[in-house]
Amino acid sequence: MTNPISGLPASIVPGEAKTTAPREWGFVETLRGAIDQADQLQETADGKVSGVLAGNGMDVHSAMIAVEKADLSFQLMMQVRNKIVAAYQEISRMQF
Amino acid sequence: MSNSMIDSPEISALGKFLDVSAYRTGLITSNMANIDTPGYRARDVNFAQELERSDGGLEEASYTPVAHEVQGLASRPDGNDVSLEREGLLLAETQLRFQVGVQVLRAEFHRILSAIHEGSASS
Amino acid sequence: MNLFGMLEVSGSGMTAERQRAQIVVNNMANAQTTHTAEGGPYKRQLTVFRAQGQADFPRQLMTLASFDPAFAAGRSGAAGVRVERVIPDNQPPVLRYEPGNPDADAKGYVAYPNVDPVEEMADLLGAVRAYELNASAVQAAKTMIQQSMSILQ
Repeated sequence: MTNPISGLPASIVPGEAKTTAPREWGFVETLRGAIDQADQLQETADGKVSGVLAGNGMDVHSAMIAVEKADLSFQLMMQVRNKIVAAYQEISRMQF
Repeated sequence: MSNSMIDSPEISALGKFLDVSAYRTGLITSNMANIDTPGYRARDVNFAQELERSDGGLEEASYTPVAHEVQGLASRPDGNDVSLEREGLLLAETQLRFQVGVQVLRAEFHRILSAIHEGSASS
Repeated sequence: MNLFGMLEVSGSGMTAERQRAQIVVNNMANAQTTHTAEGGPYKRQLTVFRAQGQADFPRQLMTLASFDPAFAAGRSGAAGVRVERVIPDNQPPVLRYEPGNPDADAKGYVAYPNVDPVEEMADLLGAVRAYELNASAVQAAKTMIQQSMSILQ
């Protein structure tokens, strides 16, 4: 539907209330996902290691696998972060 | 994306393999401790069957392998059927399997680590 | 199953076999004892083993953080062992004709303990083998714990 004042379609008129949130850039989505996963896996690993130390029946190998997964996801998150930082730096160096 | 790489089916399967191997070692240990207990029957797991179970696995607290009485063992007069040789051999075999599982798991983790640091975002 | 719980199970096996060995050695040492404080000859002693801690703990208990190795062992169907009782062997004593012996009865027979050295020796060897078997299980569990930790390398 058109804006009665400018005749332009409502969707591109600035100041019009938008019905959907702006779509986030792909890199940020990825980083958020990586952070969430790293958080979750770290929590799981902490729980399992506590279990081993408390002697409640948690297997050592199970806890070790959880720790390794948490560590890998942390490294993945750092890599993603580094890539994003590098990308931004690259873009900021562009002259227009 | 990152989910399937670190939480992969391969790692899940390897974890389950280690779980079952460790559990079997526990049963062997119990059998050995009770080799002179009157009426005690040796127990074991059906290894292949346990690996195929689709429920649970590494992350499930409710997953416990099913132990059963070993068939075909000779009983002594007091009703005990634990065989020293059988348990000794099985212990060595299970320990080796566990070791192999750990090595394969480590290799898999190293592979993932390389993939992360190679900078490739594809998965 | 929990590898530490397994150590507990093996430990119980070694303890029980050691206790059994002690009883057997005591039998052998008293094979010729014709006169005890209670009056009669020494009575051969036997150990009765019993499995302990077999599975039946509800899984909700897994969340308990208290350190209890027996619990950890029992949770996953592990069974330790213990010497439940030491009972006397009520077989009649062996009578030997020794009229000159101060312990001889009116007819000249002396009551000797019902201890057969050959049988006791076999029993002792059985205890030793079982002890070593449990020791090998301790080694295996220890190795597996170490291998588990190597996952992080």
